[in-house]
Amino acid sequence: MSSEFALELSDVTKIFAKDRGEFRAVDNVNLQVRQGEMVVFLGPSGCGKTTTLRMVAGFETPSSGAIRIQGKDMTTVPVNKRGIGFVFQNYALFPHMSVFKNVSYGLKARGEGVEAIRNKVSAALELVGLSGSGDKFPNQLSGGEQQRVALARVIVMEPSLLLMDEPLSNLDAKLRLHMRTEIRKLQKHLGITCMYVTHDQAEALTMADRIVVMNRGKVEQVGTPFDLYNAPRSLFVADFIGQANIVKLPVVAVDDVNVTAAIPEGGTLTARCAVSDGECTPLRKGDVAALIVRPESVGVEFADRAEKGIRAVVISAIFGGSDVEYQVRLADGSMVKASVPYRNGMDICREGSRVSLVIEAANCVFLPVT
Amino acid sequence: MAEGYRGMKKQRFVLLKKDPALFSTLVIIWVLFGIFIFLPVFRLLLAAFVVDGKPSFANLAAVMKTSYNIRALYGSLLLATTVGISGTVLGYIFALAVTRTTLPRWGKNILSAITILPLISPPFTSSISLTLALGPNGMLLQLFGIENFTIYGFWGTWLSETLTYFPIAFMVIEAILNTMSANLDDAALSLGSTKWRLFRTVTVPLSLPGIANSFLLVFGASLADFATPLILGGHSFPVLPTEAYLLITGLFDLKGGASLSFLLLVPALIVFLMQRLVLGRKSFVSVTGKSGARTVFSGLPVSLSVIIGIVCTIVSAFVIYLYAIILWGSFVKVWSVNNTFTWEHYAYVFQHGKKAILDTLAIALVSTVLGSILGIVIGYVTQRKTFPGKRFFEFGSLLNYALPGTVVGIAYIIAFNQRPLLLTGTMTILVAAYVFRYYATGIRAVSASLEQIDPALEEASLSLGAGSVRTFTHVTIPLIMPAVLSGTRYLFIHCMTAISATIFLVSVHWTLLTTRILESMTELQFSQASAFSIVLILIVFAGDAIMRGLIKLSSMKFHQSVREVAHHE
Ligand SMILES: Nc1ncnc2c1ncn2[C@@H]1O[C@H](COP(=O)(O)OP(=O)(O)OP(=O)(O)O)[C@@H](O)[C@H]1O
Ligand SMILES: [Mg+2]
Repeated sequence: MSSEFALELSDVTKIFAKDRGEFRAVDNVNLQVRQGEMVVFLGPSGCGKTTTLRMVAGFETPSSGAIRIQGKDMTTVPVNKRGIGFVFQNYALFPHMSVFKNVSYGLKARGEGVEAIRNKVSAALELVGLSGSGDKFPNQLSGGEQQRVALARVIVMEPSLLLMDEPLSNLDAKLRLHMRTEIRKLQKHLGITCMYVTHDQAEALTMADRIVVMNRGKVEQVGTPFDLYNAPRSLFVADFIGQANIVKLPVVAVDDVNVTAAIPEGGTLTARCAVSDGECTPLRKGDVAALIVRPESVGVEFADRAEKGIRAVVISAIFGGSDVEYQVRLADGSMVKASVPYRNGMDICREGSRVSLVIEAANCVFLPVT
Repeated sequence: MAEGYRGMKKQRFVLLKKDPALFSTLVIIWVLFGIFIFLPVFRLLLAAFVVDGKPSFANLAAVMKTSYNIRALYGSLLLATTVGISGTVLGYIFALAVTRTTLPRWGKNILSAITILPLISPPFTSSISLTLALGPNGMLLQLFGIENFTIYGFWGTWLSETLTYFPIAFMVIEAILNTMSANLDDAALSLGSTKWRLFRTVTVPLSLPGIANSFLLVFGASLADFATPLILGGHSFPVLPTEAYLLITGLFDLKGGASLSFLLLVPALIVFLMQRLVLGRKSFVSVTGKSGARTVFSGLPVSLSVIIGIVCTIVSAFVIYLYAIILWGSFVKVWSVNNTFTWEHYAYVFQHGKKAILDTLAIALVSTVLGSILGIVIGYVTQRKTFPGKRFFEFGSLLNYALPGTVVGIAYIIAFNQRPLLLTGTMTILVAAYVFRYYATGIRAVSASLEQIDPALEEASLSLGAGSVRTFTHVTIPLIMPAVLSGTRYLFIHCMTAISATIFLVSVHWTLLTTRILESMTELQFSQASAFSIVLILIVFAGDAIMRGLIKLSSMKFHQSVREVAHHE
């Protein structure tokens, strides 16, 4: 029986015993992954990403909750009976076996014929661009090549689910960028469902169909990279994904989806409330709300040329080629980052200049202050 | 309460379902532990503390009433403490000589060889040669014309055990001195420290865990030693293991022997637990060694080097002399009475001792194979798997090793001398005594080696669809092979040379070389004892050479690749 979901987690919790007490490494996680989807788990160190992945793989058993793969309950099924593929952070190639032996290992365990094994292994090696390397040993390969062997070893098994735990973190920066697109291409080409763990938000944004942001064992938000960037539903997500200015402002009016707040220099600013689902319950008139402003939504102009806007002083201005990164200080002492696209002949506001900030309200959202 | 019980039941159920191979392995091992470890100790305690079906301290009280036994208790503790101290000091001196002096390569090799000799010899080799040198009609006594000297008693026993057990201290301390970072030396000297101050404030404090550990190990070894005091202790210096042995073999007093064993068991267990504590606290030495190129240790102050040189020379010469004297002794007609050359003792050994040789070899080989397999499985399970009762499992697996051999031997004859477990007089009981005592080195070697191997390798195998058995045979075993073989090596040596437990278990059907040596000694047939010893040492040496060859082969094949991968990361 095939289900519409490749993977379903329901109320999955993992509790580890800690000296006198328990520790919830994963806390009530719910998730549904569609066939062929690439879901990336993202979060700070220790938030429970690896533990979640290892429960899906079967290396750990959930303390409670259920895991279904292709509609079948796999919560207590052993790893070797789940039909998943796992790519490890340090590749975990068998050092005493050649590349060919490594890649054929699973097929042999499954009892496939010699001929079938040879064909499948060479196809897999070709897919990852390592056709001629079957006789080499892992220690004769570079880090990137080892990574490819690890991939080949897994995809040759045609797993229903591909699990990867920070597979690129041991590679140097350039190779990492390259492998990102390689893995994504391969995953799309094979149409394989994939669960990918990383703490690198750029990696997550570029690779994912959907991102699951985790924090302290809990899922903070699930959504497309676009959603998470433009409509973070918590301060944690806003801060974790991309750069964000969090400006606290008093609310003066609230409607179904929008919040209007007062600006220190006078005037108001209206933007969507990100946690609203039709009626903006959490925020009331008189509350203090947090305005999430991406640096690229902040315009910087010399104060004497602007008619309105928020007054500020430039603390630092760094020219970065395509844009200028500003650090400015508001009248109340809080700092704001701005990223202004640089066009030829443009004046850069130097350190100490008085400037006025223009915020593009359409690209900002309000969140409750927690 | 009920909730907790249900939780535990559920956990076992999950284990059975998730890893049936582990489950059945554990069941088998628990049964073996039950029969060969817990049952004997339990029966020993019963024999000591149950009188007429009621719990009682009467046996213990009876034993304690004899002042001779009190002296034995005191003697055991005194001997173990003094040997622990002198063995550790001597081991430290040898370790310093090998790791911190400018002694040329060959000199260090000789020192290392000197420390290996006692490890591969039967435990009373040095007592035999001390008897030949300083005993009645002793060679040195005649040479210097000394009269009214007796080697028998505390000092002879102390000297012999120190020479026998200081290699244990040497190995522990050498390892820790080697893992220290030479950068620390450089740092201290560059801060204006003198070499003496460096030694006092850096080298010694950093080796304290090794010193503590080696003291405990040597203390335990001396406490358990039975052969040396039996030969050298004499009547004036009783210790517990020999008293228990004499009670049982001389007076057939099992209850008294059991009670004395209990007196011995308590300090042995305390030492064992303390040693685990010392090892449990992570040695802080390994943390420092990380950064920077490996430089050369800066060496010792001159005065200390001189002292170390003198001590090492004297001790080495003495040890070589002791072995030479045994070799010589095996070729003379009657020691120090008729010194004509003869092969007759070897002829005797190969005629009348043939059965002992073959029996010893057979038992050692079977025990080595079984012990290695069990050591691998237990080392693997304790290092890699989680299951209910794991702590107790670990403790249980090492219990027979922690207990003095005499205690184990007595426990075995008490437990296995009646149906349905009538094993006395069989090969099984000898093999079991060896296996469940000396597989400990194998367990340790395997778990230390597994600690170095990323569990992800095994997880990778599982996630590729291989079951836990296939993973074990195709991934784990090849990777830990060198460690397995080095555990096997010590297992073989112990099985060839150990005596304290098995002396109680030999019979007309199965006898051992070590017991033949002891018999010859008690019949004052010193030359015969020497010939037996030489033959035994040669067999062990040959077996050991084969094992070392195998280790080299296997580490060339596997370890190289493992090391290079580790290097790669
Ligand atoms: N076997 C275990 N026993 C006890 N605690 C554990 C165990 N495994 C993980 N933890 C704890 O659970 C928490 C989550 O760990 P996890 O490895 O899932 O984090 P992570 O999100 O993958 O972090 P990182 O980005 O550092 O890899 C951590 O605090 C960790 O210490
Ligand atoms: Mg992780």
